[in-house]
Amino acid sequence: MLISRLLRVLAVLFAVIMVAAWWMTRPQTIAATDLPDHQPDPAGGERVFWLGGCASCHASPVNGKRAKGDDKLLLGGGLELDTPYGVFRVPNISPHVDDGIGGWTSVDFVNAMQRGVSPDGRHYYPSFPYTSYARMPVEDVMDLKAFLDTLPPVSGRIEAHSLGFPWSVRRGIGAWKRRYLVEEPMTFGVSPTLVERGRLLVEGAGHCGECHTPRDRFGGMLRERWLAGAPNPEGKGRVPNITPGGENISEWSAADIAYYLESGFTPEFDTVGGSMVAVQENMAKLSAEDRAAIAAYLRALPVLD
Amino acid sequence: MSYLKTRSLIATVALTFTSPLIAGDDPLHERHELMEGVGDAAKPIGQMLKGEQDFDAAVVMTSLKTFDEAAAQFGELFPPGSETGEGTEAAPAIWEDRAGFDKALATWSDAVDAAIAANPQTVEETKTVAGPVFNACKGCHDDYRIEDE
Repeated sequence: MLISRLLRVLAVLFAVIMVAAWWMTRPQTIAATDLPDHQPDPAGGERVFWLGGCASCHASPVNGKRAKGDDKLLLGGGLELDTPYGVFRVPNISPHVDDGIGGWTSVDFVNAMQRGVSPDGRHYYPSFPYTSYARMPVEDVMDLKAFLDTLPPVSGRIEAHSLGFPWSVRRGIGAWKRRYLVEEPMTFGVSPTLVERGRLLVEGAGHCGECHTPRDRFGGMLRERWLAGAPNPEGKGRVPNITPGGENISEWSAADIAYYLESGFTPEFDTVGGSMVAVQENMAKLSAEDRAAIAAYLRALPVLD
Repeated sequence: MSYLKTRSLIATVALTFTSPLIAGDDPLHERHELMEGVGDAAKPIGQMLKGEQDFDAAVVMTSLKTFDEAAAQFGELFPPGSETGEGTEAAPAIWEDRAGFDKALATWSDAVDAAIAANPQTVEETKTVAGPVFNACKGCHDDYRIEDE
């Protein structure tokens, strides 16, 4: 009698917890009416495209190698990211109506980029770095969509990710987002204009922290170690510390950083290597002012060892 | 066996045995030193382009000549058997795709020749001719160098 009552209470409690968990992990989106009154500009979107390096992941590999030149504009996806969580497969984001994102509205795209939610209301995995893109001005996101719409449609859908448990439970990303999806700046303090402009570029579309910042065991970024270097997510070795305390970069001036992003050469006249090659080639397409802003921001960071 | 065939066979055999000698006893060390020298020579040109150093056409030419000499020797310093050791950053692709590597090297060599022929006298002229030279450095490193980190 007592036991059956206890079981009934437990069952109700369990149901309540399940409903609460379901509620807490629901995908949260913004409404079309919340978008600013902004006429999307494809030219502005192209700047965001190179800044964000969209092509570095979404351009279809050519003969197993990363795309170069104009092939960077064919965003059929297909690159595989082999990570400790499993294999992520990069989707088609070309403007193909059926296989890509050609059928998306502006608000669909903003929700994907800044809330990590698909048009059919499911969470995206943070291998798509929306935790960084959440810090972008929403107008830039709208401009980017306008630019993507000008690119050639590519047919072909990409297979789903192959992840291990518990990462395979997509709904769990809702809990993860409650902790790690924040729009607040990573860095604080009174910022001169140039540094603030650099902050928006580095912390937002540039998503530099996704590789240069170490993560905790749930894959969330360690805020107190922002840009202080991390294990290479794609293999052996480390992605360098790019705060003024970094082993190599501590000797570099802001002009050196800007020149490196433009030309691919370090002050010692060694060339950029590894995954940074593709990033640098994208940064070379930005304006000199944008590169100077990125350099000014990096020099203004707290010195971390 | 015809005379020509015999001669080419002898030449092949001779090359096979002498090329490690041409390359010296320690090609890993030599090519590392050569590449360090190229980096040192590139530095003043880069600093002039960045405006960190006054322009000096003679210094630019000295650096270009250093590139030229290095380009002439570099290809011989990757004989079979020198794939690993001494912390080399040479990628396996050099030996797997020797033709591609030689082509990348020729791209650099050609750009250097063109730059020397142009004999740049201003920062702007230097920028124009040094661009292809530096891009060739990058292009080759991208495909034929591994990252030590």
